[in-house]
Amino acid sequence: MAVIEIQGLCKSYRVYQKREGLLASIAGLFRRRYRTIEAVRGIDLAVERGEFVAFLGPNGAGKTTTLKLLSGVINPSGGTARVLGHIPWKRENTYRRRFALVMGQKNQLWWDLPAAESFRLHQQIYRIEPEQFERTRDDLTGMLSVGHLLSQPVRELSLGERMKMELIAALLHSPEVLFLDEPTIGLDVVAQYNVQAFLRHYQEARRITILLTSHYMKDVAALCRRVVIISLGRIIYDGSLSGIIDRFGGQKVISLQMSNGQASAADLARYGEILQADPPRVKLRVERSIVPQVLSNILAAHTVEDVSVEDPPLEQVIAEVFSWKGEGGGRMMNDK
Amino acid sequence: MLARATTWLTILRISIEERLVYRGDFALGTLMRFLPIVTQIFLWGAVFEAIRASGSGADSVAGYSYHDFIAYYLLTMIGRAFSSMPGLASGIARDIRSGTVKKYLIQPIDMLGFLLLYRTAHKLVYYLVAAIPFALVFWLCQRFFPGWPDAITVAAFLASLVMSFLLGFFLEATIGMIGFWFLEISSLMFVYMLFSFFFSGHMFPLDMLPGVWGPLVRVLPFQYLAYFPAAVFLQKITGPELAWGLAVELGWVVLFILAARATFRLGVRQYSGFGG
Amino acid sequence: MSDHPSYLRVFQTFARNSLVRDMTFRANFIIDTVASICWVGINLSFYLLIFQYTGMIGAGTGWGKWEFFLFLSTGLLINSTVQALFMTNADEFSELIRTGGLDFALLKPIDTQFLVSLQRIDWSSAGNFVFGLVLLVFSLFQLGYAPGPVEVVLYLLYLVCGVTILYALMIAMAASSVWLGRNQNLFDFWFYITNFARYPMEIYQGRFGTPLRWFFTFIIPVLVVVNVPARFLVQPLQPQTLADWLLPAFALAAAVLSLLASRWVFNRALVSYRSASS
Repeated sequence: MAVIEIQGLCKSYRVYQKREGLLASIAGLFRRRYRTIEAVRGIDLAVERGEFVAFLGPNGAGKTTTLKLLSGVINPSGGTARVLGHIPWKRENTYRRRFALVMGQKNQLWWDLPAAESFRLHQQIYRIEPEQFERTRDDLTGMLSVGHLLSQPVRELSLGERMKMELIAALLHSPEVLFLDEPTIGLDVVAQYNVQAFLRHYQEARRITILLTSHYMKDVAALCRRVVIISLGRIIYDGSLSGIIDRFGGQKVISLQMSNGQASAADLARYGEILQADPPRVKLRVERSIVPQVLSNILAAHTVEDVSVEDPPLEQVIAEVFSWKGEGGGRMMNDK
Repeated sequence: MLARATTWLTILRISIEERLVYRGDFALGTLMRFLPIVTQIFLWGAVFEAIRASGSGADSVAGYSYHDFIAYYLLTMIGRAFSSMPGLASGIARDIRSGTVKKYLIQPIDMLGFLLLYRTAHKLVYYLVAAIPFALVFWLCQRFFPGWPDAITVAAFLASLVMSFLLGFFLEATIGMIGFWFLEISSLMFVYMLFSFFFSGHMFPLDMLPGVWGPLVRVLPFQYLAYFPAAVFLQKITGPELAWGLAVELGWVVLFILAARATFRLGVRQYSGFGG
Repeated sequence: MSDHPSYLRVFQTFARNSLVRDMTFRANFIIDTVASICWVGINLSFYLLIFQYTGMIGAGTGWGKWEFFLFLSTGLLINSTVQALFMTNADEFSELIRTGGLDFALLKPIDTQFLVSLQRIDWSSAGNFVFGLVLLVFSLFQLGYAPGPVEVVLYLLYLVCGVTILYALMIAMAASSVWLGRNQNLFDFWFYITNFARYPMEIYQGRFGTPLRWFFTFIIPVLVVVNVPARFLVQPLQPQTLADWLLPAFALAAAVLSLLASRWVFNRALVSYRSASS
């Protein structure tokens, strides 16, 4: 049985016109004006144990909402979901002990106290045995090299260090499922790298199931084999990273190094879109299907010293995918 | 001169607009501020009932009848409306601490003058909007008042109110200026609030104080913030005593204007010495 | 391994963490404690002043000087407890709703209302509690009256009832910010309402007083909070008429009902929060 099973999950909610002042708010209770936002419009997903899945999507696509639904923080408007056999929004204690949610740039640790004190509170709330608690804590602080920071008030830590503490807090009770919402947002490059390395290591060792949402391609490329792209509340792709390019990368980039004195950029413009013209090097963007034809035309007409054909950068492809609006519903293709 | 008047009008206009947006809330908030008086009225009702039942024949406490007490509390609300300066001292101290005070030193704006204008504008707006709930409450409670006093008393009352506004302002401004020497004035503010609350006559007419306490409190300026105007209106202070009281109040006002200016000048000199 | 944590242990950790935090800001803690005690002292001076002019509050009510101070000390004990345990949390709750920070509370395998209501304890109110205790003992001494074990037990029971009723009111008001938004007027409202409970309920008489007394006894039962326990100390236990038992029985029922009502409001607020949060 899959660890996470989602079927037709929907979430729409009303945003009420906010009124200023107490009297106006009370009046507003009786005559409400609102608009409906459909954050999630029918998601089907199955995740097996030990998978490390990335949710990619533009802002407002529904990634965070989906994670919150799976955490039981919000109620769905329709559809079903089960995580570890539990219905998340019932918020049973047995379920809540088995998963964790970490949100980037959001702090749940006590601000003025050392992280160690917040951890102790966690131990009490999750009812972790003392020896196991100490072992896990030491393990995690060792892996993230923050042992020396445990007795410093959280407010004195840097953003990266705070994020590490948040991760530790989330993993103290050894959850089987981990939800990560933009965990590296706002972190500097070094901190990002450290968090990624830690997550990879931890996941490989423990075989827990992780769902990660992120904007950063580096996170996704470094950690996840499976990528789910969400746009406008629907899943439009579910498969491997390289598959995205195959599926969505409609064009390829031909890089040419021309012999001296041969053809100018203007000459080559009729074969495709000029991306870069730096004689003798030229880069062209060409429709994937006609690449062989264009290549043979160029090679026939000009003397070429070097040629290579590449995929467009992943970020670009994904950016283009994100900017699609209102494409037909459901998943478009399943590439596994 | 013209520029200052224009600024003043702009501040006034913006303040009014700001208030009017929240006017429903504001009216409600103003009415709610009278609620604690309701409890006090019942308390004194019970006290006077006990006094009557005790058969001692007395019908007043320190010269105030039951109705006088209610009228007194209502009048102190007006006094407070004039003399309370929420956030003045702490605002000045914060400006000093954060360095924003520099703008007063560099630009040709007089800090005290500017703040005074600002407060005046705010208080004026306050009265424009709060007048209605206030009037409503006073109209409902008119039977507690011994009728309208004579013109002299009314004039004295108004004079004492204006002076209590100035006194409250310059007193708190002076405390705020202490921020040039001490970073945290919150403890000082706290002590000031304590004294002010008790000795301004908020809780009870100062006539009630026995023995040596009465004259002791008259020496302090706090009585002019709430007690004095109320007592004047109720004609508990008349004739030469009234004239003397007004004169002393004026004296305090002048004293604190000078104190505020002096501490400002000294503070600035001290502050510039740091070159912060 | 059971589902839920040991609530006692968790509360101990809350208390400990809060103490550590308050001690970190020691200067503020001391100032806050001294400030609260001074305010109480000032109010006491006012009442002492009143008793210069009269021997009793209200005719034939039995609230003489030291009885009145017994009433005040009871009020101090209850209010300082509510302030210490719940005031910060209620304020924080409104803020959590506004910022979305309530999400974290919902993730924990612990009763959400328990977590939200007790996670921060304000130790600076302890000063007032001690003050109330001292005043209580002193007043009893002045009256030459030592309450028997039954009275003490009942007194403690009704202290708890009083704290419960105030808590229920507080948390319900804080929860309403889900629908009404965060508003200062609402916060002030709390003080205005509880202000009515400062004095013995006998002061509310007459054309306006009696309906007020009924309202604040039976609709928003703030008047039973201090009055009921205080009476156990002031009027030695001699069950007379049915009416003597009516009010304490009602107070008990009110405490239980308020707690249930607060839970209902709290859960409704959670439902609204969870439907709206994005």
